[in-house]
Amino acid sequence: MADIYKIDMPPAARELSRKASIVGIGESDYADDYKAQRAKLPGFESPTVESLTMRAFERALADSGLRREDIDGLACSFTYGGPPPEEMAQMLGLCPRYCETNGNIMAGPLPVVCGAIAEGKADCVAMIYGVASRSIGRVFGGTGPGSLHGGPSSYYYFHPWGWSSQAAHWAMICSLYMAKYGVREEDLGAVAQQVRRHASRNPNAVMQKPFTIEEYMASRYIVRPLHLLDICLVNDGAVCLIVRRADMARDMAHMPVDVAGWGEGIVTHNKFDFMVRQQLRPQIAQAGRQAFAMAGLSQAEIGHFEGYDASSFHLINQIEGLGFVPQGEGVAFCQAGGMELDGRLPTNTEGGNLSASYMHGWSQVAETVRQLRGEAGERQVAGLSYAMTCLAQTDQAHPLIFARGDAP
Amino acid sequence: MSEKRADRTLGPGHDTFWEYCAKGELRIQKCTDCGGMTWPVAQTCEHCGSEALNWERMSGKGTVLSWCQFHQDYYRGAPPVPYDCILVDLAERVPFISNPKGFGYDDIALGMAVKLAFLDCEDSAGPFKLPVFERA
Repeated sequence: MADIYKIDMPPAARELSRKASIVGIGESDYADDYKAQRAKLPGFESPTVESLTMRAFERALADSGLRREDIDGLACSFTYGGPPPEEMAQMLGLCPRYCETNGNIMAGPLPVVCGAIAEGKADCVAMIYGVASRSIGRVFGGTGPGSLHGGPSSYYYFHPWGWSSQAAHWAMICSLYMAKYGVREEDLGAVAQQVRRHASRNPNAVMQKPFTIEEYMASRYIVRPLHLLDICLVNDGAVCLIVRRADMARDMAHMPVDVAGWGEGIVTHNKFDFMVRQQLRPQIAQAGRQAFAMAGLSQAEIGHFEGYDASSFHLINQIEGLGFVPQGEGVAFCQAGGMELDGRLPTNTEGGNLSASYMHGWSQVAETVRQLRGEAGERQVAGLSYAMTCLAQTDQAHPLIFARGDAP
Repeated sequence: MSEKRADRTLGPGHDTFWEYCAKGELRIQKCTDCGGMTWPVAQTCEHCGSEALNWERMSGKGTVLSWCQFHQDYYRGAPPVPYDCILVDLAERVPFISNPKGFGYDDIALGMAVKLAFLDCEDSAGPFKLPVFERA
């Protein structure tokens, strides 16, 4: 996806920290939509990007307590296509002065909007994201209908050797990691298990039923060493974030959540060397350093983390790469409860991409907002001031740091 | 008997790679400006952007850097699942996705020495020689 996520982010500059706040969040009904999509009862109509997005927007608007007229910006991020922003604005009943297409996955869109707000292009931007991945028959890997065309060469070049799919990328990184650090499949199972345990406390998670390590081991392989339960879901959905100028974001319906830091690390050459041999560590670490410096925070101050668990292993890769856990110790950290709600780093508390919803990093941001507001219900992490998300795919890392509006 | 495989990427540059394979040679593009290796085939050096690329013959020696086994039938039987892929660290320091020949997933250990071989294959463009690796 090297070519489609690449957008020009503003620099990770200290003076841009906490200049914009998330004041409203809305998500579609991941669990119900998934069930309906699977059941396809008579009269079922597949959701569209438009229908999903409009639902998420209405919810975010209601959540923010703002009126439509308060929104003077619209930023559209549709991974697999959607209407042009002007058309979308009309559908949503908005007349924004700032109206842009804005990347797609959560690898840059939020910093771009923070930058636009800082430049005075808008005071309050509705950021919308939507995908109908399941309804459009999106396929990951292979050469059949629905498979990805374009993107980085590692997505298609090795077809003659039978090698493609996101799962294969994670499997290749994971095998080397397991061999280097003596991690067994049944150890790795603890990661997917932990994320599912979190999802069991989230009524909007697509998969909510906890499983045992025996059930994990019995689940079929997708690309060995990774089992089905190590690989993320494919589902339809939408997320809307309403982002407002920080000084206008006080005294609102909810505690504002400030965007405090961001970073970026991209593999530009030697992909397999960086991705497998070095486990993307140079990119993840560089992006993390930028984000921490911009926010003026360190790992120890982050109380909640939401990583990009396209695979269970990749979540480990991020918590190690960002410096929360020493190299090679991430799986043991998870096994010892480090990612639990009362652990040292509660991680993917809504159930992540593995169990809750695959929204390309957007649902992780929504969860972070809920957690920092203190509105995560049964899965609330106690005493939070700062949280971090990270989107990392096979060749890039984009962390974000958030601060509760009343945190120093 | 040649094995049916999914289509190669063909076209300028790519064809050259497969023509060398047909002669039993594994050649990778090396930049005469910066010395960096570019794989997969590209029109410009992935390190410095130079167009001065030479086809450097690889020694065919390498070690296994990582591996995986496909159970998901992404290619509808070509090859039939389960099948293995390895990432070979060529002696010239190029990580190269390939298939093991004569050994499989449970035989593999990190750093295992391998050497180049070719497998007779066929895709919709016709027969070709696929570079694979056997135990050294």
